[in-house]
Amino acid sequence: MAEVMEPFEFKQCVSILKSTGKMAKSLRELRGVIAVVSDESIFHHTYQYFLKGHILEYTNDFAQWAGESLEGRALSEHLSNIDPYAFKNIDELRQELLNVIDSYLKSFPEPREAMPGDEFYFNETITLTFPVGIRAKNLAEFLIAVKYIDAGAIYYHFYEARIRLGVDDFSKWFEDSLGKKDLAERIMAIDPFMHSIEGIREYIAEAVDEEVKKDMGEIIQL
Amino acid sequence: MISQYSGISPKGDLILLQRIGEKLKGRSFLHINSTRAGGGVAEILHRMIPILKDLGIDARWEVIEGDERFFDITKKIHNSLQGNFENITEDMWQYHYEVNRRNAERLNLDADAVLIHDPQPAPLIEFRKSGKWIWRCHIDVSNPIKEVCDYLRRYCERYDSAIFSIAKFARAMGIDEFIIPPSIDPISEKNRELTDEEIQETLNKFQITKDRPIILQVSRFDRFKDPIGVIKAYRIVKKYNDCILVLAGSPATDDPEGEVVLNEVKEYAADDPDIHVLLLPPFSDKDINALQRRATVIIQKSIREGFGLTVSESLWKGKPVIGGATGGIPLQIVHGVTGFLVHSVEGAAFRVRQLLNNPEMTKRMGEKGREHVRKNFLITRQIRDYLSVWYAMENKGESVLEL
Repeated sequence: MAEVMEPFEFKQCVSILKSTGKMAKSLRELRGVIAVVSDESIFHHTYQYFLKGHILEYTNDFAQWAGESLEGRALSEHLSNIDPYAFKNIDELRQELLNVIDSYLKSFPEPREAMPGDEFYFNETITLTFPVGIRAKNLAEFLIAVKYIDAGAIYYHFYEARIRLGVDDFSKWFEDSLGKKDLAERIMAIDPFMHSIEGIREYIAEAVDEEVKKDMGEIIQL
Repeated sequence: MISQYSGISPKGDLILLQRIGEKLKGRSFLHINSTRAGGGVAEILHRMIPILKDLGIDARWEVIEGDERFFDITKKIHNSLQGNFENITEDMWQYHYEVNRRNAERLNLDADAVLIHDPQPAPLIEFRKSGKWIWRCHIDVSNPIKEVCDYLRRYCERYDSAIFSIAKFARAMGIDEFIIPPSIDPISEKNRELTDEEIQETLNKFQITKDRPIILQVSRFDRFKDPIGVIKAYRIVKKYNDCILVLAGSPATDDPEGEVVLNEVKEYAADDPDIHVLLLPPFSDKDINALQRRATVIIQKSIREGFGLTVSESLWKGKPVIGGATGGIPLQIVHGVTGFLVHSVEGAAFRVRQLLNNPEMTKRMGEKGREHVRKNFLITRQIRDYLSVWYAMENKGESVLEL
């Protein structure tokens, strides 16, 4: 199997939660805080949603809370359709969150307040990134590694990379370093909002496994 | 020491521990609390200090000394912070400060990072010498008595940062406030695997028979843990399913109310031969481990809770837990996945019956619970977080740190 000049270095990130000291118990309060809370907090409750590893119904913390604690299911649906990667910066994302909430408040009866103890707490994070000590020089090595690494590493390369590069690290390496455009496209086609990290790991492993088998078949025929 | 966790803790946590350990090697990290025995804080410190040392960090653990009056006052402060009104006079606050002042003379407070656990030693901040000072609050302060909270706050605000177990306990004090849940140690005497003989030994010691399902609550004898409510739930269950109830707890030197509550519980249990009220001596870890492993269903029916680490201990042993929806319990019990959250005696009884009658569901939830704890509530994750906070404080202003 061909080895590349640029091996894939697996990294991982871990986030330490920090409280902003702000909370909301109703939709209007949530709106009020979203308007002023730090960029880091908006980032945490949207982009970092998948770092938690929970399999929940919606696609960001605001949508989850609106559905579970305010019982505003229609609002949750709207909030879940917001794709944070579609915005150039946090302010644009913040504005979209506010637009969705405002439009809901105009069209629907105001949802109930959250029960005591079930309020929304705005947090932010400090993120530590570190190499996990694994480098893959070819697809076969990549396949073993991707099955073995922690979920935090999948998150770092599949989700966090989109903020850095606009695309996940895996696809980029498959295309740029291995010249495997088809495989890259298969990975890019995964809907990042509809799977748990474990589900994404399985999908990638399956796609790479098929590719490795295909390569091996070609080698045998030669 | 850290290698003992290989194959148990998530790999990423172990790698990060090594990397931060390298950055903080040789630096001093002092922990101070108010008891060496009883309760979750002392328990975790017993395990954490050797691991920190193994990482090359100069870790120390000191305990403040106080008399009965001091601990009576701090128990009242504790109760008030958890929302139960207690009259704390200026004179009592002065005594709280005075005992800390005496301790400050006795203790070596010099360290690169100082972590003060809970309100008892909080005034030590007045005597800081050097380093980063962090106040670690293990208590449920979501609905405190305002006057008591405000008084204590004058100390807390002088720290460089604070750590709370869950987000809703944080207080907007104008300092950095981090959220770090506590943890259990999977290789400690309380959580290690036990042989059948070791489990049987414990059952024989307490004359608990194996012929019926066992419902268990392990906790201090404290009204916030609602032991009476557990007996009430057991009595409802008993109408439908023959079972045994075990209430087991150790006394803590900083909890003068324990004996009063224990007597109330014994009186309420009356002479039901199927209720075992066990006052275990400190360091009864193996017995608690055995009881948790033998139990069919485990309850943590707290009304207020700092975190409720017995939930993680039980989940780690593959047992689903029925817990009060308070404090840190909802973080550990994912409702319907790793156990059930309940809001009443009736709710607790209903869920116990559900689990007793569905062994397959009980097993499945137990397996999910163990994995949930592995990823989120093991000691290696907590040490990782403490060291990350210290490292972040030394790199203040950075929200992404590359190691």
